[in-house]
Amino acid sequence: MSAIAVDRQGEMPGEERVAKAMQGFVKDFGRTAAIYLESCIHCGMCAESCHFYEVTGDPKYTPIWKLEPFKQAYKREYGPFAPFYRLLGLKREVTEPQLEEWQHLLYDSCTVCGRCSLMCPMGIDIAGLISDARHGMAQAGLVPKELREAAERGEREGSPLGATPKVFKERIDWLADEHEVSIPLDKGKADILCSMSSIEIMKYPQSIVATAKIMKHVGADWTFRSDGYEATNFGLLSGNAQWQKDMSMKLINAAVACGAKTLVLPECGHAYGALRWQGANLYGKPLPFRVLHISEFLAESARSGKLRLKKLAKSATFHDPCQISRRGGAVEAPREVLAALGVELKEMFPTKGTNWCCGGGGGVVAIHRADALRYKVFKLKMDQIDDTGAELPVTSCANCRQTFDDGQAHFKWDKSMNSLLELVADNLIEA
Amino acid sequence: MDLLTFARGPGMHWATTVFVIGVLWRLLGILLLRGRKDLSEPRRTAAWKGLRLIGLRSWPRKEFLGGTAFGEIMGYTFHIGFLVALFFYLPHILFFEDIAKGVIGVNFKRVFGFAWPYLPGGAIYFFSAVSLAALVAVLVHRIASPVKRMLSNFDDYFSWFVTIAPIATGMLAYSHYGAPYPTLLGLHLLSVELLMIWFPFGKLMHAFTMFLARGVQGVEFERRGASL
Amino acid sequence: MTTLGDSLLASGVSRRAFLKFCTALTSLMALPPGMAPAVAQALAKAKRPSVIWLSFQECTGCTESLTRSNSPTLENLILDLVSLDYHHTLQAASGFAAEAAREHAMKEFDGKYLLLVDGSIPTSDGGIYGAWGGESFVDILEQSAKGAAAVVAIGSCASFGGLPKANPNPTGARPVSDLVKNKPVINVPGCPPIAVVMTGVLAHYLTFGKIPELDAQGRPLAFYGETIHDRCYRRPFYDQGKFAKTFDDEGARSGWCLYELGCKGPITHNACATVKWNAGTSFPIQSGHGCLGCSEPDFWDKGSFYKALSTAEWGDAKTLGAAAAVGVAAGAAAAYLGRRRQERIEKEN
Repeated sequence: MSAIAVDRQGEMPGEERVAKAMQGFVKDFGRTAAIYLESCIHCGMCAESCHFYEVTGDPKYTPIWKLEPFKQAYKREYGPFAPFYRLLGLKREVTEPQLEEWQHLLYDSCTVCGRCSLMCPMGIDIAGLISDARHGMAQAGLVPKELREAAERGEREGSPLGATPKVFKERIDWLADEHEVSIPLDKGKADILCSMSSIEIMKYPQSIVATAKIMKHVGADWTFRSDGYEATNFGLLSGNAQWQKDMSMKLINAAVACGAKTLVLPECGHAYGALRWQGANLYGKPLPFRVLHISEFLAESARSGKLRLKKLAKSATFHDPCQISRRGGAVEAPREVLAALGVELKEMFPTKGTNWCCGGGGGVVAIHRADALRYKVFKLKMDQIDDTGAELPVTSCANCRQTFDDGQAHFKWDKSMNSLLELVADNLIEA
Repeated sequence: MDLLTFARGPGMHWATTVFVIGVLWRLLGILLLRGRKDLSEPRRTAAWKGLRLIGLRSWPRKEFLGGTAFGEIMGYTFHIGFLVALFFYLPHILFFEDIAKGVIGVNFKRVFGFAWPYLPGGAIYFFSAVSLAALVAVLVHRIASPVKRMLSNFDDYFSWFVTIAPIATGMLAYSHYGAPYPTLLGLHLLSVELLMIWFPFGKLMHAFTMFLARGVQGVEFERRGASL
Repeated sequence: MTTLGDSLLASGVSRRAFLKFCTALTSLMALPPGMAPAVAQALAKAKRPSVIWLSFQECTGCTESLTRSNSPTLENLILDLVSLDYHHTLQAASGFAAEAAREHAMKEFDGKYLLLVDGSIPTSDGGIYGAWGGESFVDILEQSAKGAAAVVAIGSCASFGGLPKANPNPTGARPVSDLVKNKPVINVPGCPPIAVVMTGVLAHYLTFGKIPELDAQGRPLAFYGETIHDRCYRRPFYDQGKFAKTFDDEGARSGWCLYELGCKGPITHNACATVKWNAGTSFPIQSGHGCLGCSEPDFWDKGSFYKALSTAEWGDAKTLGAAAAVGVAAGAAAAYLGRRRQERIEKEN
């Protein structure tokens, strides 16, 4: 048994937690999950792709092993031979101690980066199943406390980090004034609805300014909305499906309300996955607007000539945010922007779809008991970037940025992570 | 009834029946579950092109090759050796042709225009020996590697056994070694029947599910433009 | 009883011919050549034994095999060397006279006569399906075996049940060894057995006064110790993978292996490939037809003679179709149960 303390929500007897977990699991046992769960041949190769296994050598971090209770429950309760498994006692029931032991594996040691899905010889989307498994854990009240608190706050206040609509409005007023840039809020109608992540609102507020500057530069008809601005989704990260929907619906409804043709998501990884790929399914029908990550919007603007940039005579290397690049499909967009900036791009190895995760995604950076593990992973990133000899590490996700800043401080690293959005905003050629 | 007559008679009959029932039960039990419709706007509309993952995922990306090379090479050595011995040894070909003729009514030559090619027995013996050696190697690796040892359960070991038994008994029968030939042949057939009966219930089903899983991931990811 | 040597001399068989016969017999029995004089001596001195031959559910093929000859042969010699006191086909007598002769021989040579049996014994319905003189084969065998020194089951029917025992075995046919339990039984199977194999077995018994070494099926190892496959002259073609595909194709005409055409040589123990038939003329494979496996038990019920040994009774399209239907139904049922459970959970929440 692990020495890591377990976080529990609510006072429930063990069997009730297990029953609730089962309910959460069963909802996800559809055809896709079944195909995946039936296909594992225990080859263990997924371990070779996981940064947590890579830096510890501990077999328990084998990605498919993180799904063991989920897989066990599927085979016992749901698969085609489930009655045999139960009658002949071939698979044991998932137990509460087991679920508690797995909290660390499902949350602390998985950033849902998807390298394992890319590796698996059988083609199992392990990362996707991790998100599914978290639904059961959330139902059972077995979410790490920081994630749970952030999610609960987000559901209640509209932001996991205290960037309530009131705070957001105050920040906008102050930033607009300070930087002499127009930052529209709550326009009745606009072509483009922009959104922000609480990390940016609270920690990197210059992102709000950067967004506003760029939107003005390209002549966009855009707005922020106080009834839908938060792009992060701790419902998704913690596994609370209902809250995930609530959070996404705020953005969707705001976009509908102002008749937006495009919803631009900020520099945030899981926000992209949440809205671009899962949004319509929560909405119940195709979204009546396009969804673009800010890097995609910038790339489009560069392509159409609307974005005029000064050339940056520096070398850069791009850290691919997992949810945008590998899982999300927007691999080239940031590179197009970097090309437009005229930097000398020195790719790290591995890069693009196979790049290493920063180690802080999926909610991991918020879980303090996982810090030591995360720092071990961060060494991989530092080595990768140092090896390129590039001057500027650049990324397009505020959570990655936050992870890099924290790692930089911990290791006293000589390099700082840069935001693609801010780089662009700082190098606009103004008429 | 002696061993060989049983193995060629009721043994095979029941093994085939269980195999067919089991495979279809498991496949349909999975495929008829609730699918999820994706309403998001696709990045790539020809998502079916993602089916190329079925071929693509047959070898890892070079970034992942480091720790997986042994498993990949040994895995392929076993599979190729096994499949050559299974499909290119004349007595086996006659076995399959007999079933095919019984099910669809015409023989291989009529359907494909050429005879199913075969290799001489000695070559088959060589491929079997290589395949057997690879199987032993992967078992050692499974027990020695902390990751695989942790993951492994009854299914892994039993599936290994029912796979190596036909190869070993086949080689013994071919070389007429260890017992009278009819007994060796009987044991070989019985081992094959054991494999057929176990097939639908364990990891050997990956022969079918690998197409499904790779296919599903390929199509879903291609749709999003995600990395394959 | 006169000795065999006396009888031979009286029949005009020269000493030379007799020695030639014994040499052939010696090698047939897989004995070292140096033993030929000993065999000759023993045979010459042997008392001409009484042999009673019972024919039950048989086709007379075994007798035909034994007596085929164009010129004086070993087979004939044997028949001359023994006192064949009872044989349906060969004897002159019939009816009560024949039965009386049999009973007389059995009484006179009680404990010493050799009982040869061909044909299986029907046992169903009180043995009604085979009888003569008002007695069932079952009873005749029982009585006759009582005073026999040894019993030789000639042919596959007597050895293993043969054709009468084939599915569904309506008469309840059984082999001799099933019914004779307290006497030594030698099985000399084949459908029919090779003539010289039959005589070789008899000669062994006459020479040594005891039964030869037998395999697990009660067959003399000297003649049944190897499979046809092990001695087949077409073996090189088997090893090279050269198989005839039809009875008259290029391969068949080139004398290629008959495995694809159903040859059961690999699992059949007999001397056909070495001793051959009709004084070494040929054997089925040499004539272009695969071995039927006729010296093995239940060879009639082991599937088609024309399907290769590696094929098996997988069923038929109908059975597989039914199995497929069951599999599909079971899978659909499992999926349905799963979906229903999901719907129930969603409704509750």
